[in-house]
Amino acid sequence: MENSSPTSAAPSRTLATPPRVARKDDTVPSPTLIDVKGLDFYYGAKQALFDINIAIPDRRVTAFIGPSGCGKSTLLRCLNRMNDLIDGTAVKRGEIKIRDIDIYGPAVDPIELRKRVGMVFQKSNPFPKSIYENIIYGLRIQGVKSKTKLDEVVEKSLRGAALWDEVKDRLHESGLGLSGGQQQRLCIARTIAVEPEVILMDEPCSALDPIATAKVEELIHELKKQFTIIIVTHSMQQAARCSDRTAFFYMGKLIEFDETHNIFMNPKNAQTEAYVSGRFG
Amino acid sequence: MPPESTTTSAVESAPTSFRIQKERTQFLGLTFDECIQGFFGGNALLAVIILGLITFFLFREGSSFFSQNRDNLSIYRLAGLEYVDLGRQPEKDHAALSRYLADLRLRTYQYYTAQKALPAKEANTLLADFDLYADRFARASAPIRSQLMDWSEIANDIKARHLTNQNLAEKRRQLLAAGKSAEAAAVKILPINFAVEVETITTTLPAYAEASSTFARSLEELIVAPPILPDVDLTVRMARFQALTRDFIASLPATLESMKKWDATVPVPLSQSFTAFIFGRQWLTASFWQDWYGAMPLIAGSMLVSLIALTLAIPLGVGAAIYVNQLASPVEQRLIKPAIEFISAIPSVVLGFFGIAVLGEFLRVASGWSFLSWVTGFPFAERLNALTAGCLLGLIAVPTIFTLAEDAINNVPRAFKEASYALGASRLQTIIRIIVPASLSGIVSAILLGLGRVIGETMVVLLCAGNRIAIPDFTAGLGVVTQPVHTMTGIIAQEMGEVEPGGIHYRALFVVGLLLFFIALLINYFAQKIVRKYKVSIG
Ligand SMILES: Nc1ncnc2c1ncn2[C@@H]1O[C@H](COP(=O)(O)OP(=O)(O)OP(=O)(O)O)[C@@H](O)[C@H]1O
Ligand SMILES: [Mg+2]
Repeated sequence: MENSSPTSAAPSRTLATPPRVARKDDTVPSPTLIDVKGLDFYYGAKQALFDINIAIPDRRVTAFIGPSGCGKSTLLRCLNRMNDLIDGTAVKRGEIKIRDIDIYGPAVDPIELRKRVGMVFQKSNPFPKSIYENIIYGLRIQGVKSKTKLDEVVEKSLRGAALWDEVKDRLHESGLGLSGGQQQRLCIARTIAVEPEVILMDEPCSALDPIATAKVEELIHELKKQFTIIIVTHSMQQAARCSDRTAFFYMGKLIEFDETHNIFMNPKNAQTEAYVSGRFG
Repeated sequence: MPPESTTTSAVESAPTSFRIQKERTQFLGLTFDECIQGFFGGNALLAVIILGLITFFLFREGSSFFSQNRDNLSIYRLAGLEYVDLGRQPEKDHAALSRYLADLRLRTYQYYTAQKALPAKEANTLLADFDLYADRFARASAPIRSQLMDWSEIANDIKARHLTNQNLAEKRRQLLAAGKSAEAAAVKILPINFAVEVETITTTLPAYAEASSTFARSLEELIVAPPILPDVDLTVRMARFQALTRDFIASLPATLESMKKWDATVPVPLSQSFTAFIFGRQWLTASFWQDWYGAMPLIAGSMLVSLIALTLAIPLGVGAAIYVNQLASPVEQRLIKPAIEFISAIPSVVLGFFGIAVLGEFLRVASGWSFLSWVTGFPFAERLNALTAGCLLGLIAVPTIFTLAEDAINNVPRAFKEASYALGASRLQTIIRIIVPASLSGIVSAILLGLGRVIGETMVVLLCAGNRIAIPDFTAGLGVVTQPVHTMTGIIAQEMGEVEPGGIHYRALFVVGLLLFFIALLINYFAQKIVRKYKVSIG
């Protein structure tokens, strides 16, 4: 099992105070933000993840690839404890640390965790509310009332999600009236409005046409200056185009994790090689 | 046969063996599919036809009520009953003033016994003057009362003769229809000249006016020197009594005026028969004087009871739906759902029984607990009242509301929920901000259907609502819920068995049924409309 982790300078910051310094140079190794160690995960009696060890670098794009059912979504949903919502799920062994805090520890509130680790879903799912209300939902539930603050966040988030120019005249119309690609970017905007550190994306482009996909990929490229992004994808090209590091999973196990160009040009594992060259999966 | 050979042979004989023509078993020239289609179509058609027949039947039976009611109101006017009632109004108002005095006496008595701690006998002695005064006050209306008695007799006699004539005419018609013309001719009908007959009443108006002014004078004398009462509050009430009596005296000339203007020959328009039904404040049947068919007390009773029921059932039903769908563990779900759905299996007569024996009694006793005395309307004496019936109806509506609301909540796409959680919302926030708004129209239609269930329920209200036919006194504020009421469904169930088919009372009950039918139709229509809208908005 290949698992090359970058130099992990243990940061002493807490979850609540994320750094907001844009980094330009992707070639410089980045410190580990999320550290998964020996994770076994179960859906009831069925084990879905086997001994996962992976160190995800800060403010980089990490891609999860692998054949259907190999556990990519499961791992992703472990990172913000969305699996808690499914009855009978359990982390039986191992731990996940974000900034050295064990997110399955007893002192961690999953609600606070999800404010720091946002998620974008495969099928865009804006609420049946106006665009404006969609964006400020996360702030509303945190109790933010100030109109100026909300207006500011709406503009900033929509600009951040490259959607501002397209919707600025229809902020108070329903979010469901947008095109599929716009809806997905609205969901991204909604996620960045709460200023998380990590954005998890589960096949965010699988329902989009090539042009909308290109826009989202461009957006990912912009967003990684500020956010740590993990993207699950079935498209090799997409993983190759927009990720810095790629993890290949197979049957609930992490097979290989390395710099993206290594995974695609020079894989060390035969299964990885077979998968990326399209010979199975 | 190996697969290759089938393919080759099929290719060779293709044109003839490629069988796609229709060739099925047929019954009576119909294919099997058509038979099935016919069967289901027939069932659907039958349902529609039956609904149509019910509507038609209700209309046919109910529609002639309005013309009958007009006759009823016409004879009320022609025979002079209306005139006598005009003259009786002062007597009624005066009786109300007497009741005010009686109430004042009770308060004074309580003041003596409770605050001054006097024995009952002494209190009554102190009140001797008051009693004398009250008695003189009550007897002041004697002159007009005797006049009214004479008039009532005359008017009643005219009406009775008219009704006899109607019966005779009916008999004659039947004989003629049976071909017995000789017997028919023998039936003698003495026609009534209403205008002349009623004059025997109206010409004695001067005597009534005379009596009325005697009445007014004796009241005026009484009012200047009322008995002195021992307490400030009581004195204030006595002053109020004086003012009310002065107002009453001042209103007497207006009554005379309206009697002078009254004209027996003005016909009763059909629309009045209509408004007298819908807005009529009295439902009075088999009366020796005049029958009234006013649906207002019944409508108000039904509305009041339904309102109480919904006030209880909405929080219970919707709350349970939210809890079971969103918060309960699977074990709780398996327990709660069938338990609530089981309520709808309880026969309503059993619930009514429970209402009489347990709930009504409990509520009455509970209303007497001193720590609950701040509740308006508490304590109350009637065991059977709108509250008892409303509580049980609420219970009946819970399963309907619960099941449909739970469905609506269940239909909220999972994706909305996940998105909300992923943005850091708690369970409660997700429920309040996402799930309830997204299923709101479904919940509203669940409530409407619950209302439909409640309005149509009969047994429970018949047993527990107290069956007093009067518009509840809404001035009592919230205390109105403790009054006995009668309902639209209750009155039909209670009276339908006793009425003469085809009579006006029978038809009046049909019109009440028709009204219920329309209310139910309306509720269902809105519920469906809301559900349709809801499907679009969630899509
Ligand atoms: N709610 C669940 N209950 C039980 N088992 C589940 C559940 N969700 C997923 N699984 C199982 O866990 C395994 C991993 O599923 P997961 O959804 O993580 O796969 P994936 O890699 O995301 O696949 P895909 O590419 O098709 O999305 C699969 O075998 C799946 O059947
Ligand atoms: Mg998946």
